[in-house]
Amino acid sequence: MELVKKVLQGDERSAARLISMIEEGLDEGYEAVSLLFPYTGKAHIIGVTGAPGAGKSTIIDKLAVGYGRQRRKVGVIAVDPTSSKGGGAFLGDRVRMRAAEKEEGIFIRSMAHRGFPGGIAKATIGAAIVLDGLGKEAILIESVGAGQTEIQISMICDSVITVLTSDYGDEMQLMKAGLIEIGDIVVMNKMDKPGAMEAAEDIAHYFASRKDKPWQIPVLTMEARKGEGVERLMTILDLHHKYMEGDIEGKSTKKEKMKQLVLALFKEEAWSSIMKKIQGKAAFEEIMQKVQDGKIDPYKAVRMALQYALPKE
Amino acid sequence: MQDTKRLKVLIAKPGLDGHDRGAKVVAQALKEAGMEVVYSGLHRTIDQIVNIAVQEDVDVIGLSIMTGAHIPITQKLFQKIREKGIDDKMVFVGGVIPSRDIPKLKELGVTGIFPGGTPLTETIHFLQSTVKKG
Repeated sequence: MELVKKVLQGDERSAARLISMIEEGLDEGYEAVSLLFPYTGKAHIIGVTGAPGAGKSTIIDKLAVGYGRQRRKVGVIAVDPTSSKGGGAFLGDRVRMRAAEKEEGIFIRSMAHRGFPGGIAKATIGAAIVLDGLGKEAILIESVGAGQTEIQISMICDSVITVLTSDYGDEMQLMKAGLIEIGDIVVMNKMDKPGAMEAAEDIAHYFASRKDKPWQIPVLTMEARKGEGVERLMTILDLHHKYMEGDIEGKSTKKEKMKQLVLALFKEEAWSSIMKKIQGKAAFEEIMQKVQDGKIDPYKAVRMALQYALPKE
Repeated sequence: MQDTKRLKVLIAKPGLDGHDRGAKVVAQALKEAGMEVVYSGLHRTIDQIVNIAVQEDVDVIGLSIMTGAHIPITQKLFQKIREKGIDDKMVFVGGVIPSRDIPKLKELGVTGIFPGGTPLTETIHFLQSTVKKG
């Protein structure tokens, strides 16, 4: 395919177009991904997650500049939420990535999540494959930033950075399932804020007591806006990448992630193809009407809809 | 597997102009109308704007200009998008645009011109009906 050839030759326009085709779910786009796939797998895919305003875009900006200095080619995918009203999105992450934009050979793409769960879009992994094919050596992915449930970002990344600030809450927040489980590296950002040192110490204690093996989750302090801590973060990312590529545990984590990713994508596709089949059909609308009128409970409605969509033999 | 195509619009602030309230209001309105809006931030060069348009693969480039330099800026934009081979993108301009300059802007290739005070619904309707989908 011509488009694939151009991407492999480093043509940005073709890469950009191909990412759009994947976003639109065009067969042609998926076929191109399949053709590109054998040429990829070399890039270090890094996810950055954390609450809105924690400093994700700024950290990506600094990392991109740092990698640029090491002559590594960088790709960035910044995912922002799609509005539940009307399906539009405001994609504003580039505004905080202006130093990165100046790096030679950097490619930055914003993307709306379009309702996909887990802090990324359905097309994010496709876009990462395209950027890998385009020759990017480090691919930085910024998640939506909804916090505790951003599981999917870890499925598509080799390394995930969880960014916290001193107002993350307390140990109770860490003990809850979620945010912390998906990160390989924890960053306490905005060290200039009051209480940041205490918060960093609390978090470091928490992780020291967990004894995760063989990768012990490191806690890093940063003041990303000033560039403080960026070099250490880069060193740790390299170590983690080596761990994922070379260690038996790392390799098996990677395999498990791929399985989870395929299941997540499968769930999405299965759901949308079922919906296409039943939406607007009288029997389905009737079930909806009943539950909306309060005649049946929501679980009953789901079971009826399922029986209608996928009748048991 | 096919998902619906959504209009993707770049709202860009070229040059020295430091006022982006209007650009943000337009961006917000387009978002609420179901479009995916990439915002450039202030003080962008034309090279940067065209570069963003390429990487983001937007359908539309919207320039917000309040400095009076809309004609040279627009001229330079069209020159650049031709160089980069993305002259299939639709271009619209908003901001402080005197009516006497509208014919000149159209001649340069601008499809829609929305001076300050244009109702947002007009801009939205224009984009939805003019941009070819897919």
